[in-house]
Amino acid sequence: MRSGCFFALQRLSKCLNSRQTFVNSCYRSTMALTQVSSNKCAGGFQKVFEHESTELKCKMKFAVYLPPKAETDKCPVMYWLSGLTCTEQNFITKAGSQLAAAEHGLIIVAPDTSPRGCNIEGEDESWDFGTGAGFYVDATQDPWKTNYRMYSYVTEELPKLINANFPADPDRMSVSGHSMGGHGALVCALKNPGKYKAYDATALAASYAGPRLDVLIDQGRDDQFLSASQLLPDNLIAVCSEKKIPVVFRLQPGYDHSYFFIYSFINDHIKHHAKYLNA
Amino acid sequence: MEMDGIRRGSLDVIPEEAQEQDLSRESTTVETYNVVSDRGGRTFQRFSVETDESLHFDPCETSSPSTTGAEDGNDDNDVFKNGKDESEINSIRNRFQGKVAEMENFSGHLEEIFLTVEENFGRQEQHLEQHYNDVLLTLSQRYDERAAALEEEKKGKLESLYGQLLLCGQALDTSKELIETAQEVYRSQDKRLFLKAVKAVVNRIEEFAKEEIDLTLSTNLEFNTSLADLSDVKTMMDSINAVPAPSAPVINPQMPNSATQTSLHVCWSLFSDDTVEYYELYYRPVLEDTPADSTCAPPESKVKVKETHCSVADLLPNAQYELWVTATNTTGISPASEKALYMTVPSPPVIKQRECSSSPEAALIRWESGNTNPVDSYTVEFSQMGTDGTECSITESIVAVPTCQCLIQLQPGRRYLISVRAVNIGGPSDRSDVVTVSTTGTFFYLLEDTAHPCLSISEDGFTIFYGDEELPISAMALDDSAFTRCVGILGNLIPVRGRHYWEVEVDGETEFRLGVAYEDTERSSYLGANGSSWCMRHILSPSRHKYEFLHNGRSPDLRITVHPVRIGVALDYERGTLSFFNVSLEQHLHTFHCHFQNFVQPCFSLDNPGALTVHNNIEAPEYTFI
Repeated sequence: MRSGCFFALQRLSKCLNSRQTFVNSCYRSTMALTQVSSNKCAGGFQKVFEHESTELKCKMKFAVYLPPKAETDKCPVMYWLSGLTCTEQNFITKAGSQLAAAEHGLIIVAPDTSPRGCNIEGEDESWDFGTGAGFYVDATQDPWKTNYRMYSYVTEELPKLINANFPADPDRMSVSGHSMGGHGALVCALKNPGKYKAYDATALAASYAGPRLDVLIDQGRDDQFLSASQLLPDNLIAVCSEKKIPVVFRLQPGYDHSYFFIYSFINDHIKHHAKYLNA
Repeated sequence: MEMDGIRRGSLDVIPEEAQEQDLSRESTTVETYNVVSDRGGRTFQRFSVETDESLHFDPCETSSPSTTGAEDGNDDNDVFKNGKDESEINSIRNRFQGKVAEMENFSGHLEEIFLTVEENFGRQEQHLEQHYNDVLLTLSQRYDERAAALEEEKKGKLESLYGQLLLCGQALDTSKELIETAQEVYRSQDKRLFLKAVKAVVNRIEEFAKEEIDLTLSTNLEFNTSLADLSDVKTMMDSINAVPAPSAPVINPQMPNSATQTSLHVCWSLFSDDTVEYYELYYRPVLEDTPADSTCAPPESKVKVKETHCSVADLLPNAQYELWVTATNTTGISPASEKALYMTVPSPPVIKQRECSSSPEAALIRWESGNTNPVDSYTVEFSQMGTDGTECSITESIVAVPTCQCLIQLQPGRRYLISVRAVNIGGPSDRSDVVTVSTTGTFFYLLEDTAHPCLSISEDGFTIFYGDEELPISAMALDDSAFTRCVGILGNLIPVRGRHYWEVEVDGETEFRLGVAYEDTERSSYLGANGSSWCMRHILSPSRHKYEFLHNGRSPDLRITVHPVRIGVALDYERGTLSFFNVSLEQHLHTFHCHFQNFVQPCFSLDNPGALTVHNNIEAPEYTFI
């Protein structure tokens, strides 16, 4: 099941950050970053790096936007999880997030959506499974379980890497995403405080008990996946209502599932994150 | 009078002083001899208090120290040794300081009195000298006059006596000649000749004998001294003691700040030569609605005073009075002075607490005049309150406020004490009651005249109720400004462009609308249904809570999973936003974007029976204005 929506949440993990300083020093020596590109953007820099992932056992790229404020201060980090078939490039070229990020002083990290070039049988056969479709979960079965550990990558390895190499404030991070990435963001947030194996976002929400969340969801009303009943926001809303998880769900008339939709509402979302990250 | 008392009291001191100080006015020392009884005997102690606040104890005899510790500075060491309370010493010291201050004060008074006495003495001396000079001059004039008159008389008398003397001499000569002629005739030998001549001689002698010689003195030997008229000198002498009737005093125009609400302080002056025993001050109110020549002018009142100033009390506030003075002494009464117009100050205004509003940057204060007649202007005074609740000494004022309201620019996050005074020519009134304004957040009351008749408002003015019972049509007598369809009410937000924030508490069962509206929003339509109001609406459906964010009757489609029981409303004129928040979750719910052309008012309405409470003066949380 896909949760086809933007997803925003905060306070990803407290326990994760407590040992960060110690871990940072260990990683710094081993985790070499290679800069792939660097472009000045909105007063800061939009960069892409490549590194050898220990979780995914392959080379991974990620994009990082450094706002002007990052030259002097530590900035909070917003992780953006992209949707199916995307790479780190889609968000940074299409979403238009940099101006708002510069205004609010947020670092935005956009990882790739799956391991690539692992030569796993069938990984390139389907658009919604395998390459470009990691679903931000840890695979439990062969042949996928070695490489397809996207959940661990985005919640453990990548934050450590970012905190060690950039002026990031490890205590202030949030996660947001679109489509599959939105679902991934929800999973990351909801799963973190508990120990539940279930990856279904709706089920997770029903058993959530942890730090308070604040969720903003925008949904295009003319989304082809919504009309095809592949997205079931009503289930999520009902459960969140029952469990008192604060969600504002906005049905935006006329919008579809595309990056044009993202572009239209990215400012609201960055502001939403900034509210907590800069508090 | 106090001054009189002091003068009288001080008179006893003056002679002593005069002797000791050889009339030197420079000395302001007051000396008191204090007798302190002692076990061993009597010790005379001299307390000398000087103006420089130093206190000396000079025992005249070095006998055993006095045991009256409280009165005696010598015992200080013993006191410490005996372990007496330091506080006692302090209190003693304070008492001494008090006495020193009192004595200083007294010596100050004395100095003043010395000066006055000296001045008066000088004036009197001059006066006397002038008078005596006048008298002496008059007397010497009289003397000269009299002397001249006597001289004249003497001369007249002498002349007449001399004339008489001459006449006597002539008579003697004539008789001598006659005798000689007769003897010659007698001796004549010739009888014929004798006979011839004798007849003529006899005739001459007879004739001569007929002439009686007046031998009485032609002038009186006594000088005729008329009684001297010294009455004018007498009056002059008397006038040294008797004084002329005073001339009309000059009444001063009203001095600023000399009046109160019910009293006036009037001053006048006299001509320096006048001696006045007492003055009489007349006053009466000037009524604007009675013509000047009216016979039914209000009766005048009269006060008798000895000073050249007087306070008249029991007057009407904010009223004009005309006053005049006469001066009287033993000789008589002066003409009345010119009439002066004085004005009592107004009654203090009454601040309309329920119509005041504030924001972090400003406060709007409204008040009632408190006077029936118009006043000239108002003065608004405000001072900051310290964090410990004490009043800051600096009071700022806004003067010449023409109307009964004032917008005051303030600093955010402080507490202010604000009061108002009414001002006319007579001066400012007393302070009105003080209102406290804290600039933590936006503060407003609800405009009760806009409330729909079905809506009732709590005592404190912040909770509105919509009861179950239907009102009869008769009770629907509607105010023009009241809502007619929507059971709503407007707030009274301060007209300041900036940021405003308030919170509303509701329960899950109440259907409500809340937001902002222009003050002239249609009273016959629902909030949010038109272009002049923006509001959040809560609808209770059987299955769930529904929320709408209405403007022009349209709302975006959105779902909120947690029902907000406390809603924060943030209005930002500069950015043109109106945002709603779930306060307990710090969750943003919705933002309207609209550049409000005019000032808006908070609006609230209830769509089903229930209650809603407005929470005011809350500091806007940081997240509300990101």
